[in-house]
Amino acid sequence: MASNSSVLVDKSLLSKLDQSLHKIESLFALISGLAVFSLMMLAVISVTGRHSINQPLPGYVDWIEQAMPLIAFMGIAYTQRNGGHIRMDILVSFLKGRSLWAVEFITVLFMLLVMILIIWGSWAHFARSFDFSAPMWSRDSSMDIAIPLWPAKILAPVAFSLLAVRLTLQLISFGKAFAYNETRPMAVPLVESAAAQAAKEASTVSG
Amino acid sequence: MEPIEIGIAVSIGLLIFVILGMRVAFAAAIAGVVGLIWIFWAKKGYTGDSFLWALTVASKTAGQVPHSKVSSQALSLIPTFILIGYLAYYAGLTKALFVAAKKWVAWLPGGLAVSTVFATAGFAAVSGASVATSAVFARIAIPEMLAIGYDKRFAAGVVAAGGTLASLIPPSAILVIYAIIVEQDVGMLLLAGFVPGAFSALIYGLLIVCLALSFKDFGPPVSGFTWRERFASLPPAMPIFAVVAIIILFVYNPFGGDAWGTPTEGGAIGAFIVFCMALYRGMRWAQLKDALIETAKLAVMIFTIIWGVLIYVRFLGFADLPAAFSDWITSLDQSPMLTLVFILLAYAILGMFMDAIGMLLLTLPITYPAVMALNGGEYVTAADSAFGMSGPMAGIWFGILVVKMAEFCLITPPIGLNCFVVAGVRDDLSVQDVFKGVTPFFIADAFTIAGLIAFPSIVLWLPSLAS
Amino acid sequence: AETTWNVSLWGKRRAFTEHVEKLAELVSEKTNGEMKLNISYGGLSKNKENLDGISIGAFEMAQFCAGYHRDKNPSITVLELPFLGVSSLEEERKVSQVIYAHPAVQKDLSRWNATLLMPSPLPQYNLVGVGDAPKTLADYKGLTVRATGGIGKAMAAVNAVPTSMSATEVRQALDGGVVKAVAFAPHAHMSFGTVESGKWWTTNLNPGTVNCPVVANTDALAALSEANRNALLGSIDESLDYYISTYNGKTMDAWGPTLTSKGIESISYGADELAAFKEAVAGPAAAAWIADNTAKGLPAQELYDLLTGMIGK
Ligand code: NA
Ligand code: NA
Repeated sequence: MASNSSVLVDKSLLSKLDQSLHKIESLFALISGLAVFSLMMLAVISVTGRHSINQPLPGYVDWIEQAMPLIAFMGIAYTQRNGGHIRMDILVSFLKGRSLWAVEFITVLFMLLVMILIIWGSWAHFARSFDFSAPMWSRDSSMDIAIPLWPAKILAPVAFSLLAVRLTLQLISFGKAFAYNETRPMAVPLVESAAAQAAKEASTVSG
Repeated sequence: MEPIEIGIAVSIGLLIFVILGMRVAFAAAIAGVVGLIWIFWAKKGYTGDSFLWALTVASKTAGQVPHSKVSSQALSLIPTFILIGYLAYYAGLTKALFVAAKKWVAWLPGGLAVSTVFATAGFAAVSGASVATSAVFARIAIPEMLAIGYDKRFAAGVVAAGGTLASLIPPSAILVIYAIIVEQDVGMLLLAGFVPGAFSALIYGLLIVCLALSFKDFGPPVSGFTWRERFASLPPAMPIFAVVAIIILFVYNPFGGDAWGTPTEGGAIGAFIVFCMALYRGMRWAQLKDALIETAKLAVMIFTIIWGVLIYVRFLGFADLPAAFSDWITSLDQSPMLTLVFILLAYAILGMFMDAIGMLLLTLPITYPAVMALNGGEYVTAADSAFGMSGPMAGIWFGILVVKMAEFCLITPPIGLNCFVVAGVRDDLSVQDVFKGVTPFFIADAFTIAGLIAFPSIVLWLPSLAS
Repeated sequence: AETTWNVSLWGKRRAFTEHVEKLAELVSEKTNGEMKLNISYGGLSKNKENLDGISIGAFEMAQFCAGYHRDKNPSITVLELPFLGVSSLEEERKVSQVIYAHPAVQKDLSRWNATLLMPSPLPQYNLVGVGDAPKTLADYKGLTVRATGGIGKAMAAVNAVPTSMSATEVRQALDGGVVKAVAFAPHAHMSFGTVESGKWWTTNLNPGTVNCPVVANTDALAALSEANRNALLGSIDESLDYYISTYNGKTMDAWGPTLTSKGIESISYGADELAAFKEAVAGPAAAAWIADNTAKGLPAQELYDLLTGMIGK
């Protein structure tokens, strides 16, 4: 599985876009990490409360359920940027040059198409839970202490939209690599061997 | 086309996408969305207008799944378990464990390798992810083994195989995923993992001792540690036992009093203890930030597969495929045990080509109901069942078997993630070297699995005590 | 079948789903197999998203409970207020059906493109617990109890400690003593296994129940042929009769012997005790409900009066 991959950078527009986007993605990933941390603290508060003053955190489950989308979605584009979403790369590891870029282009294209449909669907899911005229804008609430669910639900289309931007960028890069028969396209995760090859080439060039 | 035929066609398409190298999470999501569109369209008779309707309904149905499915208390164990593993590294627990294991068991034939296996098993008790465990021990244990003349391929194999134990021994992300997919009690599954995990480690250890006794120049025993040194090595590794004790106490109090909380709370408190330990050992914001981002990365990877696969599963629900498969399995004219063995063999083969989590998520919705039906249904009593255990116990037993198969797939070629990781950490080792070195452990795993099938009480003893 | 409706339920087939199973049987019979209800237990949606699925049109019929998501269906949560005094399944059915027929309630559900077909009447919740049984109201002080929503509030009003956890963790939490008591309807006490370790149960606390309607997608209902629609709507009364007789029969008949065989002590409260409990809980809860839901634009007072006016009649 391709977990070892690297992204090349240079001063081209494509790479600059990639690096700016990566800053936003990193921020989102950190938010996701902090949410994991808060999950831990939530349990500490609830357990301590129960054992010391016989008062667990009210709505503990509801709060966990609210935090989960933060953890599950926010880092999705960051992970795609760094090639962290696992895949079977036994076939692609045999491919080189144009045939590799063609396969990558096609799989990323399908990913983008399905994400557009899912962004639409998850936005609709959010929209059903949101009502400007209702108290707290809420049309759907959690089971125990009735926290509005729309803030958690909107995280899906937001994080997925960032992923769609990332996929578009990768699509351009793979398309360009295919068109110009590039060996080392910018802004996309390269299977390790290709990256190593690229690094070697770079070192021979620089002497 | 009938829904079931659509189900089969789309499942084949999914397989093709996965083989083509599409990221597994998205391949599953595509299969799910396409399948949903197809099924809704078929229902309205394949007209132009009805296609738009089908597209809308399918997208909205799929679009609910991510939020709906990840907002679950039980799933919160996954990121917490991953975080424990990273924090444990900063708390210095890996090194401490290896040192302690070395001082206590390195006098055995093949002693340093045995120490490595036991240290990875110990680390497994704080680490929820197999891959991370192998990566950490490749840095610590391999150099020491090489220094006293171990074959470098075998040293790498020990670390790759030892790392898999993290999935069976709780905390374990994979056990949680199993519990979620099949809607079984997470706490019971975590308890059930302890003994088979220890059993598995023991079999690895025995195998190494046998190898060392059979081959000359295998790896000399390391002796000469005093009892004073041995006991001195224990305190730094103590937090491991604290975490194990906490997780047990939060699920089931062996002293007969109240349990301290729920498994989800236990996981989080375990992480908190290791967090305090890491702070004490000098972890600061920069390291914590790294740990948090690494946790987020792994967690989002897992969660994306979870919701991607669950979109596919939602489609399977509309296609009614799981029910059809379990009807077929139960109609087979052979012993249920033979069928179960075939299912596990199928996992071994599939596991050669697939990632463990992806494999379980893709297959369990279909195999679990089938195995439960084989045993005589979800609510069958032990007396009326095919495997001699009640429905819930069969669910736990099959879970441990399947997770052991998933561990096995982490070291089998051509796609054995742990072997890739070990080769990645060590520049002097190729993936082929690691695969060669890990081969003896296939035999050990085959023994372990046969043992777990022949003696289900290895799995069920602890959970039956607790219930 | 010419017309197939997908029906989204959850869990497994149980007393709580028998009216839908019966409805499927009757519809198929009356239409000579032309219309079929294809019942799925959890395959089509998560229970909390069944209304979403109806709204989308992913399936044509579904069951859900009002308390899962108060903001989705504020109007019917009136039926979940504590201490309404509903005394039988028949009465629960009657008051539910009258409330379901109210225009404001129908308008509330029409936001989800849903038409209310029938209730799933449940008896009053009661507590199963471990440790010392609370014999008086004062004994509730500090009692950790798994109770959510309105019943959780009722518990808090007598200084008990409502603790939230998912239903699947309840059994273990009670076994382990994380909570000392659990509030469920009898069938749920049996299916979630609280009776396995429980030591006592409250026979007549009756703090309230949940209201779980079965709804149809309004467009799908309108698109049915005259004959199919008549077969469907004409089978509802019979299905509900069947449901109530099975629930009263199988579940309630099994309940007493279950308690006896597990050695569970029955705790009953005197009239004074119950009156005090009701006074502490019912009035404030009703007032808060009316205020909240008036703010949401519902004729809350009217619904509440309609409901309370029917009880005991
Ligand atoms: Na573990
Ligand atoms: Na493999």
